[in-house]
Amino acid sequence: MNRKSLLQTEQLNAVNRRTFLTRSGVGLGSAAFCSMLAADQPGLIDQPEKNLKLPHFPPRIKRVIFLCMAGGPSHLETFDYKPELTRLHGQPMPESFTQGQPIAQLQGQALKIQEPLCKFSKHGNSGIEFSDYVPWQSKLADDICVIKSMVTEQINHDPAHTFMNTGTAISGRPSLGSWVTYGLGSETENLPGFVVMTSVGGRNPQPIASRQWASGFLPSRFQGVEFNASGDAVHFVKNPPGISRPAQRRLIESINQLNQHRNRLLHNPETDTRIAAYEMAFRMQTAVPDLMDLSDEPQHVMEMYGAKPGDGSFASNCLLARRLAERGVRFIQLYHRGWDHHGDLKKYMDICCGLTDKPTWALMQDLKQRDMLKDTLVLWGGEFGRTPMFQGKGGVGRDHHIKGFSMWMAGGGIRGGHAYGETDDLGYHAVKDVVHVRDLHATLLHLLGIDHERFTFPFQGLDMKLTGVEKARVVKDILT
Amino acid sequence: MLQHRFLMMIMPRTKLLPVFSCLMLLAMMSSSPAQPDNPTERISFNRDVRPILSDNCFQCHGPDEHSRVTELRLDSRSSTMGDLGGYQAVVPGNIQQSELIDRINSHDSDEKMPPADSGKRLSTEEIQTLTTWIQQGAAWPEFWAYQPFQKHPIPKPAMQWGNGWIDSLVLQRLTTSQLKPSPRADRTTLIRRLYFDLTGLPPTLQQTRAFLQDESDDAYQKVVEQLLSSPHFGERMAMYWLDLVRFADTVGYHGDQDHNIAPYRSWVIEAFNKNMRFDQFTREQLAGDLLPQPTLQQRIATGYNRLLQTTHEGGLQPKEYRAIYAADRVRNVSAVWMGGTLGCAQCHDHKYDPYTSKDFYSMAAFFADIDDEQHFKVGTNALPTKRPPELLVIGAEDRQKLDELSEQIALAEKRRKPLDKKVKTLEGEDLEAAKQQLAKITARIQKLKTDKKQTESLGQWTMVTQGLPTPRVSRILPRGNWLDETGPVVLPAVPEFMESINVERRATRLDLANWLTNSEQVSGKLTARVLANRIWFLLMGSGVSSSLDDFGGQGKPPSNPELLDNLAWELIENGWDLKQLIREIVTSETYRQSSIETDLLREKDPYNQLFGRQDRYRLSAEMVRDSALAVSGLLNIQAVGGKSIKPFQPEGYYQHLNFPARKYKRNVDQQQWRRGLYIHWQRQFLHPTMKSLDAPSREECTAQRPRSNTPLAALALLNDPSFLTAAQVFAETIMRQSGGDTRVGLDFAFETATSRQPDENEIKILEQLFQASLTEFQSDPEATKNLMSSALLEQPLTSTDAPTMAAWISVARALLNLDETITRN
Repeated sequence: MNRKSLLQTEQLNAVNRRTFLTRSGVGLGSAAFCSMLAADQPGLIDQPEKNLKLPHFPPRIKRVIFLCMAGGPSHLETFDYKPELTRLHGQPMPESFTQGQPIAQLQGQALKIQEPLCKFSKHGNSGIEFSDYVPWQSKLADDICVIKSMVTEQINHDPAHTFMNTGTAISGRPSLGSWVTYGLGSETENLPGFVVMTSVGGRNPQPIASRQWASGFLPSRFQGVEFNASGDAVHFVKNPPGISRPAQRRLIESINQLNQHRNRLLHNPETDTRIAAYEMAFRMQTAVPDLMDLSDEPQHVMEMYGAKPGDGSFASNCLLARRLAERGVRFIQLYHRGWDHHGDLKKYMDICCGLTDKPTWALMQDLKQRDMLKDTLVLWGGEFGRTPMFQGKGGVGRDHHIKGFSMWMAGGGIRGGHAYGETDDLGYHAVKDVVHVRDLHATLLHLLGIDHERFTFPFQGLDMKLTGVEKARVVKDILT
Repeated sequence: MLQHRFLMMIMPRTKLLPVFSCLMLLAMMSSSPAQPDNPTERISFNRDVRPILSDNCFQCHGPDEHSRVTELRLDSRSSTMGDLGGYQAVVPGNIQQSELIDRINSHDSDEKMPPADSGKRLSTEEIQTLTTWIQQGAAWPEFWAYQPFQKHPIPKPAMQWGNGWIDSLVLQRLTTSQLKPSPRADRTTLIRRLYFDLTGLPPTLQQTRAFLQDESDDAYQKVVEQLLSSPHFGERMAMYWLDLVRFADTVGYHGDQDHNIAPYRSWVIEAFNKNMRFDQFTREQLAGDLLPQPTLQQRIATGYNRLLQTTHEGGLQPKEYRAIYAADRVRNVSAVWMGGTLGCAQCHDHKYDPYTSKDFYSMAAFFADIDDEQHFKVGTNALPTKRPPELLVIGAEDRQKLDELSEQIALAEKRRKPLDKKVKTLEGEDLEAAKQQLAKITARIQKLKTDKKQTESLGQWTMVTQGLPTPRVSRILPRGNWLDETGPVVLPAVPEFMESINVERRATRLDLANWLTNSEQVSGKLTARVLANRIWFLLMGSGVSSSLDDFGGQGKPPSNPELLDNLAWELIENGWDLKQLIREIVTSETYRQSSIETDLLREKDPYNQLFGRQDRYRLSAEMVRDSALAVSGLLNIQAVGGKSIKPFQPEGYYQHLNFPARKYKRNVDQQQWRRGLYIHWQRQFLHPTMKSLDAPSREECTAQRPRSNTPLAALALLNDPSFLTAAQVFAETIMRQSGGDTRVGLDFAFETATSRQPDENEIKILEQLFQASLTEFQSDPEATKNLMSSALLEQPLTSTDAPTMAAWISVARALLNLDETITRN
């Protein structure tokens, strides 16, 4: 890469940005974006590992937006309607279901059946069932593929998140987003390839650890970068008080000049990388505030999401997710916490769905309108589901449940308007077309043009894979 | 075999192949048979063959004696190639005579292997792999790391270079590859290297100059001795050790609450400073509580066993977490001492190393007496949380005072009891008097309790190991499944392929510690190799074996086996004396080489595996910080050890933590300028600057941190207020030193930051930066004021000439961000 002065780079970016805005002004030149599916010029810093020879086959999507509903939303009050629970409400849970199964907070307690706390109805041409907690998502009936047969292996939040993100509960392993950017790089030179945001609002939330977006044993430049709604969007992205942008540019140019000068003697490639890193840091100092500034969004878009600038809501983050996607960020993960409804499920479902349902729909709408949904994968779900059994911490609630729960996928390569897999009559075990977290990972990589079996990284003498050593399958039935 | 690998590594294959035919290779390698000449078809025993045998045969022909049905062991070379009564399972190079091939190809159901009822089946490819392997000579490389070693003779140097056995061995290896060592680095580089390597701090201007001016023959040795006895030596070594043992201030899981462990860190620093012998260092950490009449310090050391991630999350299933903790401890002890990946054997026998699943659970059983049961029940969402058993570490006087206070409280409470009764029964004046008495004594108790609390706060609680009277039952968990209790019960034992611990009773953690450091056995030799390799890495930039964390079959064999063996031998011979080993390395000529790569070295040994030069790499996260603070004069190194500190971090960084919600209360006093190794280590949200510079979360053992170079790190160094404050304070000094002469200031500043004098070009760049900044600040008083008042100091920065000071701040920021400033070379 030719070394340009920062000023030149900045001017160049201004031009790119103008071009970009013009495009987006006319609904985003889809041809231009389509062409990126083939071979993209990766960013300098987040460029993928050279020897990987990726993608293995033509990808269906370019990016992923993972809407993480942290805490474990109830599948039995969203997408998985079980009338048997109503019939048997209040009766003891048959031991044939629970014998020898892992149980979280209900350990040692009498287990009785809890009916759904809401109504269900069929929607769209597909006739997929949605509960009345998610009226906005029900409008997506013909766009999304609901997977009702998810299973995971971890029953407590923290390890379950780790499992969902890394495929194992052992810490120190790379997250999905790190694997993906490691494999494919980023399409932006001004922003990290893997961005994470966590929204505020809702029930006293479960903690979420930064290990969920860690790069583990992959090079650390592939770790997720957290963007914050308040304060500096990215840590230390703002100049110190009293330092103007030209002053900062002058400083960075001086540093780079001194490094270049010294490196004429040493020829150290790491020094070249450092020079590039300082350049990108400087570009980020403009690109990040520019991303976060929603003043260029029209009123009707703001209203569609229900976003208010700087409020840190899921609505605002959904809008930011679209902006990140537009700018070429590869993997975007939005956490919304507060889905851990051991008690008062009714009240908290109202709150959580109230905060997330419409923005989720709006994001899908917006991506569709901009013709971006076709090369984006949107993924919705928690780290696990909830028991068909009653738990009563406060009002009626449900405990953690890992043997069957629901997630949904939409976008490029996904068969919309489709429900896949089933749990048993009581919503306990996934019994038909079971999708393990590993299968989900394999499918996600497949959509990105990656064969999960061949996508490895050497660590501690092993060829490590996201999908681990157990068999994982691409869920072909949900693909177009 | 090893020799062969080196040839392959050094000589490009294209050159190698025409020259050596298969036969010639055979002739060359005495102990190992031929490899095919087409690398794409070369079968690797460890990579290709052992996994097939392990998956399909070990169940009956493997290490597990309970399920072994015949004498044949396919995990052992001697058994596989041995006489089974007129025939052999494998005859190298001879398929016809290899019974194994006959049996796996047989159509007779009584003969066929694996038998049909085993549920195992070899694929055509797998059969082909085994066949080719035997055709190619059935190479069965021994694991170098598990071989005993002797001191290798020191070769006669091929050229006039070096001053001892290290240099001779390095030179020999270089010569074999037609390479030469690099010339000695200049003295400025040398002293800087020594300071960073032995104390983690840069030399001051005075220290550098004193060394440059010292023309005596032992000038270098004097600095080495001085640094080895510096209290900062222990801090520097602790930084590395704390990564290995995953030391952190928080529990890691779920609410990630604080736990009490700081005294353990102080103990580690102190142990390195005292040059505690590594075998004792091992014993005290793993089993200090089991030593006869353990001292307070020895009990603090047992904090090692408590460093793992823990939880008390509601809904936790104790059985599940007992399994998780056991695995965590096995992973760590094997990684730290054995360079092993025994953790891989949690669900199945290790695929590449001779570790069995039974070994994994037997190793876990050593730790089955550690009391984890209490915190499952009493852990709280408070800061710190409760993680009994804990110990209050406090000075002798305060300890005595505490005892007295406790006694007085007990006494006073004894006296209050009858009064409590009286006020309920008495009437009138008597009642009044009793009430008064009661009030008095209640107040007294209150006061005593307050005193007690206050005295306690002078000390520090720390988690320790306390054995349960009855250790938990340890079983093999089939496929690692904690819900499955059908597996056999195991007792504490070391991996079966190594020499065992011979005691009549149940083996203890102390037995394990002694075994790990028993230099008469392979176990101690392995530990010595692992440790010597890591010490070498700390001083040379990479290990003699580059896989610091995997000495197993999949790890990288040492590039210079004689060197590694002799380093390990030396370590053992000197009674596990780490300072002596470090002394020998840093006084070698090998260590003192320049780090500048020649074209030849770059081409032939790009990763510096043969040590024909020194290495150049960015300082660790802690050292980057310490260095900036030291250069500026902010660094607070008054005390060594002690509590964790909280320097500035961005507002709201802990917003996603909960149970309880977290408010970060940063240190505003001198504490904030203590060294990086004292920074509060929040596992789930490590300080963002430390994280951006590759400090690990310390969830797992880290033997080698990545060395990344990212925009996030650049942003931290440019804009983190702690670094800005360092620049501000540095600027103050520069301005004072300059005496109004810009050039004097620039010279001083550059030399202070990099230890060397700038050239004219560098001066020119900095001068331009200074002048342009000065012009801007002169025309913008508001900006100047904002910059000056942003320092994280108790007293704000002041200057009669603020624009000049602000311009110096720009220069200082540039210098603290320089590649050279943050690089050790």
